[in-house]
Amino acid sequence: MRILTAVIAIAVGSMVLLGYFSTSFINIQTLLLNWAIILAGVAALAGVFNLITVHGNKVRQAEKNSIYSAVLVISLIATFILGIILRPQHAVMQVILNGIILPVESTLMGLLTITLLYAGIRLLRRRVDVMSIFFIISAVIIFLGSATLPSGDIPLIGTLVRPWLSQIWAMGGARGILIGVALGTLVTGLRVLFGVERPYGGK
Amino acid sequence: MQFSFAIKGKYSIWSGTDKKHTAELEPILPQWLKAARDAARNVESEDDTPDFMQANQEKQKAPISPPDFLAGLQAQTGDDEEDEDVPSWLANITGASPKSKPAKDEISSDIRWVEMGDKDDFAQSENILAQQPSATEKQNEEDMPIWLAGLHTDTQSEKDELTDWLQDTNASNELPPLSIGAQFPNAGKENDEKEDVVEPSTLDDTPDWLKQMSDEAQEKSEQDTSSQPTSPLLADGDIPAWFEQLSNTSAEPIEAQTPRDAPELSIDTPNWLEQLPDTSAEIVEDQTLKDSPELSGDTPNWLNTLNASEENSKPESAEVAEPSIPTSEAFSFTDADIPEWLKSPTEPQDKKQDTTPAWLKSEDQSSEFELPAWLASEDTVRLHQPQAEEPVSDSLLSDLPDWLKSAAPETTIFDTPTDEAEVNLEETQMETKSSVPEAESVDPYASMPAFVSDSQNSESIESLFTEMPDWLSRADEQPADLAITTNEDILPSNDLPSWVEAMRPNNSGLGQISSAASDQSAESHGALAGLQGVLPAGVGFNPTSKPKVYSLKLNADDEQQRQAGILEDILAAETSPVPIASFGMLRSSRGLRWTLAFLMLAVVLSTTILNIKFFSLPQGLPSEINSAIQVMQSIPENAPVLVVFDYEPSRASEMEVVASPVFDQLLLLKHPRLTFISTNETGAMLAERFIAGPLAGHSYQNGVTYSNLGYLPGGQLGVRAFAQNPSLIAPFDINLQPVWGSAPLQDVSLFSHFATLILITDNADAARVWIEQTQGLRGNLPFIIISSAQSTPLIQPYYASGQVNGIVSGLYGGALFEQYNAGRPGTARNYWDAYTVGMLLATVLVGIGGLWNVIVGLRERGEGN
Amino acid sequence: MAISLDLITGVLSFLFTLMILSYLIGDNPVFRLAVYMFIGITSGYIASIIWWQVLAPRLLMPLLPALLSGSIVEKVIAITPLLGAVFILMKLSPRLSKIASIAMAFLVGAGAAVIIAGALIGTIIPQISATINFFDPQLAAQRNINVIEVLGNGAIILVGVVTSLGYFHFSARQQANGTVRRFFLIEIIAFIGKIFIGTTLGVIFAGVYATALTAFIERISSLINFFGNF
Repeated sequence: MRILTAVIAIAVGSMVLLGYFSTSFINIQTLLLNWAIILAGVAALAGVFNLITVHGNKVRQAEKNSIYSAVLVISLIATFILGIILRPQHAVMQVILNGIILPVESTLMGLLTITLLYAGIRLLRRRVDVMSIFFIISAVIIFLGSATLPSGDIPLIGTLVRPWLSQIWAMGGARGILIGVALGTLVTGLRVLFGVERPYGGK
Repeated sequence: MQFSFAIKGKYSIWSGTDKKHTAELEPILPQWLKAARDAARNVESEDDTPDFMQANQEKQKAPISPPDFLAGLQAQTGDDEEDEDVPSWLANITGASPKSKPAKDEISSDIRWVEMGDKDDFAQSENILAQQPSATEKQNEEDMPIWLAGLHTDTQSEKDELTDWLQDTNASNELPPLSIGAQFPNAGKENDEKEDVVEPSTLDDTPDWLKQMSDEAQEKSEQDTSSQPTSPLLADGDIPAWFEQLSNTSAEPIEAQTPRDAPELSIDTPNWLEQLPDTSAEIVEDQTLKDSPELSGDTPNWLNTLNASEENSKPESAEVAEPSIPTSEAFSFTDADIPEWLKSPTEPQDKKQDTTPAWLKSEDQSSEFELPAWLASEDTVRLHQPQAEEPVSDSLLSDLPDWLKSAAPETTIFDTPTDEAEVNLEETQMETKSSVPEAESVDPYASMPAFVSDSQNSESIESLFTEMPDWLSRADEQPADLAITTNEDILPSNDLPSWVEAMRPNNSGLGQISSAASDQSAESHGALAGLQGVLPAGVGFNPTSKPKVYSLKLNADDEQQRQAGILEDILAAETSPVPIASFGMLRSSRGLRWTLAFLMLAVVLSTTILNIKFFSLPQGLPSEINSAIQVMQSIPENAPVLVVFDYEPSRASEMEVVASPVFDQLLLLKHPRLTFISTNETGAMLAERFIAGPLAGHSYQNGVTYSNLGYLPGGQLGVRAFAQNPSLIAPFDINLQPVWGSAPLQDVSLFSHFATLILITDNADAARVWIEQTQGLRGNLPFIIISSAQSTPLIQPYYASGQVNGIVSGLYGGALFEQYNAGRPGTARNYWDAYTVGMLLATVLVGIGGLWNVIVGLRERGEGN
Repeated sequence: MAISLDLITGVLSFLFTLMILSYLIGDNPVFRLAVYMFIGITSGYIASIIWWQVLAPRLLMPLLPALLSGSIVEKVIAITPLLGAVFILMKLSPRLSKIASIAMAFLVGAGAAVIIAGALIGTIIPQISATINFFDPQLAAQRNINVIEVLGNGAIILVGVVTSLGYFHFSARQQANGTVRRFFLIEIIAFIGKIFIGTTLGVIFAGVYATALTAFIERISSLINFFGNF
């Protein structure tokens, strides 16, 4: 099984990779990718089913706070049934989206405001080093530069410092981060293609 | 009591070996023993060995054992079935010849239960005994030791040599209980069971010397032990006087040591061992033993004996009213406790000729009454031991546990002899010197003093062996002399029971003498200790030289040592805790959190409710927004535009605020045909929300002016596949209707056929995916990203690199773009005051609060240091 | 009907917003109830989306015509993802999860190839080229950037890129005393890289705050609007 999975991964990866550089493999690449996106969708569905299983077990075992798990399972199944019956774009499903999903997520995101402020205030109490100092300085500059006065942008900060910091200094670091991430991704992908890493369960 | 413990500590079985110098005793050795030794030294043929020496050599194999034990062994010798189980040394130890099989067969059942303790046999014997009690014997039925009864049975059947001197106990009826009975309590049991078979007629066989000694003991006991209680059993006079005297040392009643309710005690246990636990158990708690006799079945008997003996040696136990039987280690002997045959200092001298032990005299009289094997010469032993029995005995002996082999004898021979016992031994030695001629005719078993050492108060074991009777010292000496010719043939190491061998003094003077006379080395350890020439001192038996010392130091050169040092340093660096500049756990300040929440709520609520639009919108137009505006303006009218909704519902509010002015302007000016797709599950629904919410005024309809391709799974895979062949990957819209070829996607079959690609995302990774996977497939397709403020810093490099044509980022970008869209839809403007106040608040809180916390943190760390 | 749905939406939105905002006081059952319900509803919603937008259009709908009238190749093409989907679902069973590794290997192999090509073509080469081309005076002239600005900002970006990459260089050598330290030049580069990384993260932090603040404002506005509408 380990050899089979490794062979599958390497073969599929090689053919998909060849599709980037050779038009001869574009069709096979598209076909494989089409299969892959279907499998990815099924994997997401399997994740939902796994969530049902986990919380269903909690309910059956009457664990602590299992009432919340019961609420979760019930709401999940009910929504799924509604979605299957009505389809997601149905008005009722839009009510669920706009009345529950979006407000909850947005509110949680709004609560992050206070949390971020709290963390920004307390950061330098925990550690005072170069990175933290520049972190706070750049954040404060962006805060201040993003604000405006009744008369317009804050002079110098909003018109010069903030753009210079975000488009030059921050872009230097961000580009370094992106290149670093890309290099790491490249190496990881190569290791998978060479069979060194087998995150699919081979080893 | 201290004396007894001292003796025990010095001469216990665990004590070291002490050399006994008995060379000075050579002149006083009996003539017959000297002659025997000389004969052994000069022996060249077995025929030259005198008869009495043969008898002595034969008896040397016999251990010093109690009479009942020997009696049982005699019965064993006659049992063909038991031959396989009984070693030859054990069968012949009584000196009984195997020729008396018929007679033994008759009583085999009676004897066997004594020996082996089989329950059925015991029951059978009980039946037999129940048929034979006489009127007088019934009175003492419960008091009569079983072992004595068994002895009498043997006497009846075959006139065992034990009977001669045991019958003499009739003469000492009035004597107190014997201490030997404590050592062999089963004897009491046997007697209790078989006293009916004891007949006075057997007393005629009692040796004279024993009779004399018993008379003397009786006199002594009347004088010295008159205060001690007398067992009713002793009224029968079946116990020798010296037995009775020894038994006086114990306060344990004989009744207690008679486990009538526990016949199982003798199951599978040698007779002499059966007697030991009974003593101990009964001494400690006799009632318990009676009720649950099996208790002693699991405990080594000799251990019970030892424990009980210690308890029994306590003064309290000696004060028990009932007559008791002392243990083998009950050393608190008085003069009255000393056996009479050891205790007559004057009479043997007065009656040298008359008091010669009967066992020495009767040696030649009867072939049945031979010297014990350990006294007999080995040649003699070989004559009387069937060759076929030797391996049987070996096997049986090997079955005995070592602790039984070693422990049993040491509790008998090294038990504390008293001073009186030494004197008596000396006197007895004098007797034997004067009665050498009669020694051959004396029944050795009748007076075999194997139990003497048990009863002796062993203050000095050295004196015991220096003053031991000649026959005993000679017995130790003779094997050394005869070892050259006989040991290998007759006494292989396995033939001798270890407890017999262990009785021999390890480093006695006898050993020295014999070693001087022999060219073979004497064994000093183990079961053969005291013997000489038993094992050949072959080459390699002992290490010839000091063991070679091997160096543990590795043979490593300096380079290897250095590398090893480096490795050690590395490991040490890995294992040693690295001090990390940790700052401890800061307590979560709920007050600060609540303060921040209150401030934010107050600011946002106040600015939103007031909606005074106090703060100006941003003025400076960044290049990325300017580029986005230019792209939007460059889009052809009614052109197909691909819009990717890749954001979470949590950022929907921000993204809609940013995207609304852009699309409002685009829809208003260009009327593009929109195609929505999303790599986020809810993205397609957010697109519907977006088109039905902020863009509701444009009346875009699905399938007519826009199409929603729905969710595109697979992340980068899906994006790449869609960019490669969009019609194949997303053939249907969210209503499962074929979308390619419809109005929104008319003339669009490839990814590059779209007029513009607009990505609305809150995730830099999503932006990177779309940038990367469409890199070679976009062609000249303009690419605008409407992003959240949080993802803009990581999208900015792609704009700088030219991969993205414009970016509209966050509420700031939305407010800017809204200004270029005539202030429509105005959402950004509505939020701007609160946004600005929130940003200023954050500036103040983070800036000032951060500075304050820097100071506090430094002060805390300074205090901590 | 539409009004009623809007009303329901508004009420639900209002209630759930308050339930989540109750977390400002602290963790409480109301907040937990809202969160668990949100997770369940979102999961169910996503499951239905996957069914209607993935399985139905991409797996099931092509399957029937392929099996009925398609060629063998079309049948294989249609059946293969179905087989893979079955394998993936076997991952739910611990006993059959090994079979799912076949489909997972397929996914991982394809994903590895995609990210390799995407990283190389979409990020590494373009970003490195952009860093170098920033010093190109012709390009600068096209963007109306003077030379001094080009050299200055280009140098900063270049230093930022190099030092940021150096900051992520964790290779080190063992010293004679057993300690592990990076090369001295790398240490200097990493120190400078900390400045750029810190600055970048600070900007991102501010962006996250701006996003959260916008969401917070939107939620407060929705609450105010809810009361304003009713």
